[in-house]
Amino acid sequence: MIPNSEVQSIMKRFPKFEDSFIGLEYAPRLPKGIIRETKELIAYARKFNDEVVRPKALLLDKKTHEDPDYLPYDLMQTASEWGFYTMWVPKLFGGRGKNLPSLSPVVEEISSACVGIANVLAVHYLGLTSLMTSFNMKVTNRILKEVVEGERKGKPCLIAFAITEPIAGTDVEDNDLVDKGRVTCRAERVNGGYVINGRKVFISMGQVSEWTFVFAYTDLKKPSQNRVDFVVRTGTKGFSVGRHENKMGQRVCPANELIFEDCFIPDDQVLIDAYTIKKFTDKPLGEVMQRHMDYISSSSKAGVCAIGVGVARGAFEDALKFASETEVRGRLLINHEWAQCILAEMHKNVTLGRLAYMEANHANSHRGIYELLQMKPMYYYLKFMPSLYFRMLNPMLNTGLTTWAMSKMYYDMKKTEDVDCTSGLSSLAKFAGTDIGVRNCQLAMDLMGQAGLRHDRGMEKRLRDAKLLQIYEGSNQINRIASFKGLIAPVYPQTRVFEQ
Amino acid sequence: MITSLLHDDMKSFQDLAHNFASKELAHRREESDRYPFGLFDDTVLAKAHELGFLGITLPEDMGGIGQGVRALCVILECICRTDASLAAIIFTNTLAQEILLKAGAVDLLRQVTVSNNPKDILISFPSYSNPEEHKNLPFATKGDMGYSLSGSIDYVVLAPIASQALIPARITGQDGYSLFLVDLRSPKVKKGESLFSLGVHACPVADITLNGAEARLVGQEGKGPAFFEETANMMYVAAAAVSLGIMKGSFDYALTYSNEREQGGWPIINWSEMKMILADMAIQMNIAEMAVSEACNAIEKKVAGWDVCAKTTALHVQNVACLVTTDGIQILGGYGYMKDYGQEKRFRDAAQNKALLGMAPLRKMDLIDQINSMR
Repeated sequence: MIPNSEVQSIMKRFPKFEDSFIGLEYAPRLPKGIIRETKELIAYARKFNDEVVRPKALLLDKKTHEDPDYLPYDLMQTASEWGFYTMWVPKLFGGRGKNLPSLSPVVEEISSACVGIANVLAVHYLGLTSLMTSFNMKVTNRILKEVVEGERKGKPCLIAFAITEPIAGTDVEDNDLVDKGRVTCRAERVNGGYVINGRKVFISMGQVSEWTFVFAYTDLKKPSQNRVDFVVRTGTKGFSVGRHENKMGQRVCPANELIFEDCFIPDDQVLIDAYTIKKFTDKPLGEVMQRHMDYISSSSKAGVCAIGVGVARGAFEDALKFASETEVRGRLLINHEWAQCILAEMHKNVTLGRLAYMEANHANSHRGIYELLQMKPMYYYLKFMPSLYFRMLNPMLNTGLTTWAMSKMYYDMKKTEDVDCTSGLSSLAKFAGTDIGVRNCQLAMDLMGQAGLRHDRGMEKRLRDAKLLQIYEGSNQINRIASFKGLIAPVYPQTRVFEQ
Repeated sequence: MITSLLHDDMKSFQDLAHNFASKELAHRREESDRYPFGLFDDTVLAKAHELGFLGITLPEDMGGIGQGVRALCVILECICRTDASLAAIIFTNTLAQEILLKAGAVDLLRQVTVSNNPKDILISFPSYSNPEEHKNLPFATKGDMGYSLSGSIDYVVLAPIASQALIPARITGQDGYSLFLVDLRSPKVKKGESLFSLGVHACPVADITLNGAEARLVGQEGKGPAFFEETANMMYVAAAAVSLGIMKGSFDYALTYSNEREQGGWPIINWSEMKMILADMAIQMNIAEMAVSEACNAIEKKVAGWDVCAKTTALHVQNVACLVTTDGIQILGGYGYMKDYGQEKRFRDAAQNKALLGMAPLRKMDLIDQINSMR
């Protein structure tokens, strides 16, 4: 047709082929074993739904209304017994080592039964991802060992993620915004560590997690260049839990205020700061920190899209069941053409939403944070080598060499266009999937009429649960801008983002 | 802000409702929304009764204040800016009263409204559905002593607190349904627990089971659909006014918040995307207000197609209220999702109100059939 050189030239125009067909590009590199593994995990999640989630979802939601301070310790215990808190911990750290992209369809599955319970499981992986993508292997190794040990001993050890502040929500998520905002969580350098003062709000599972990943700033006037990422153990002197938020939905997953009052964080709990990055890069701290945030959100936003798709699917399945059982004006609702069109629309939303998070995860696997683990040789090596082998290798993680190598690879060598693409796609997936979640709940409410209003039918809870998805992990407005910034703005160099 | 709903003579009702909402509802909003639901403070109902809100369209000689649909809309809209639960109570009670009036059951109604106790004059009704949507309505049997009802009916609004219920039931061998007034204090009536619903938590709802309960026929046998439709045609605009008030409350709070909350170094209202969302909210709200006002005009003047106007207004306003209140949370971000700020309640109340008077898709189909038949 046309010479290859011309093809290459044409396809470098916007939209570039490699940015538009990531799944297709990644397909030949996808380890086949992932397909079977993912299928098995989805089946496992369905079984968990049947035996745990569906019988408990409405009862626990009601319980949280009766007792707004209810904490889901029993649920955490059950999830731990099912192995969910170590399922996606790499084998190198002693976990079950399932492929990380498979977390999304599992989260979709559990969210289709209850978003709140899905988050009692999934928020741990937001904390875990933030820890792992710091590439401070020594600290990561120590904490993940506790996670694995916690499951073995029947005392779940979870990790929470705390960046939102009382007067800085959107601001803390992007370096272009944070200097204009009013962050207040201050880290003061002292001998052997930092002293932290300030507050974090809306921290999911903050009260019940053993560890919390936190952002603080050594200079509140220029936070973009002065961030410190660290972990703090619950119960540490100067670190306390404040109010338990009274949320509209997702109530079984508690959200809390976390308070730091002269809380000392020793250096061995600091993940990234101005001192640690000098060992592997000359790049400014702000650039490294933005990349860290991009890695966290590229993974987590695909996951939140999956939650949105899950609630959209739950709404669709509820509406479908209702339509198949309910007679309206002499005919089953499912046999009314208009109802069939609404159900088809809802099903379309679910299907397109799933494609969105799958494509975001293909991007993460092909060009982003999962790249190393998803390479065929690495995947099969990690999958088939015995646990004993990894236990022998484990001490290497404490030498500093692995921290240097991983940090160098992900913070110093990774191409900016790859980070832009993965970050932009995950933001796109996030706002698409969560808008779909709310939309399907509204359509289901229309279809079910009066029955949808009742708590005992489950639909009204889904609507309450779904709304939060448009707010956390960056509001959908900020995710639209992040998507524009990552996928569209690079086309025209004169484009400025967050500079209104 | 457009105030086309307000004719000069409506200003006093607006002030009355506004003052009532500020003094009696605002400080109770969070508490009355809390579990266990359905426990509205008695003093609120007493005060509402004293002001005539439990008989807005009822003739004065029956204890009401004898106003028309515009006054009803103004009062409902004003109350809903603060808390839609009382509006849901007023709406359901007015709907039941109007059905009785349309059916010519003046004596029955008079027997109910004679009491000074507000709970005694409340009439419950399944106002979140059109009785025709129910496949299994209770059935009525006529005996020497009158009618008796058996069977069950779901989601009867006000049933936990009202003394009477207006119940649709089928008479064996007849098409359609008839309407009956049932004394809920009868031992042959079993009320379920107050239901946990999406919104308007202080407007209690329960399922009812009837075991041969004595019932008084409202109007004529088999005429239930006609009485309901005739009344609903007027009440659609009141349902729209409820949604309008919820929308206004959500917009007002979002606008205030967006001037106070800073992100990126300045109040969020200065971010153009926030301006766009707020502008969209304002557009929907103002159009809704114009639609409600026009529908009131059409009803008052009984212009041709006034019922189509009222139905259209309800379908549009009930729907956009769900969208506007979704944005009303979004402007506040995480705070909007918390029960402390009222926005999440408005989101739930708007979604609840969308189901008033029946499933929206079925109402849409009825609307187009009616428009088509008018050609």
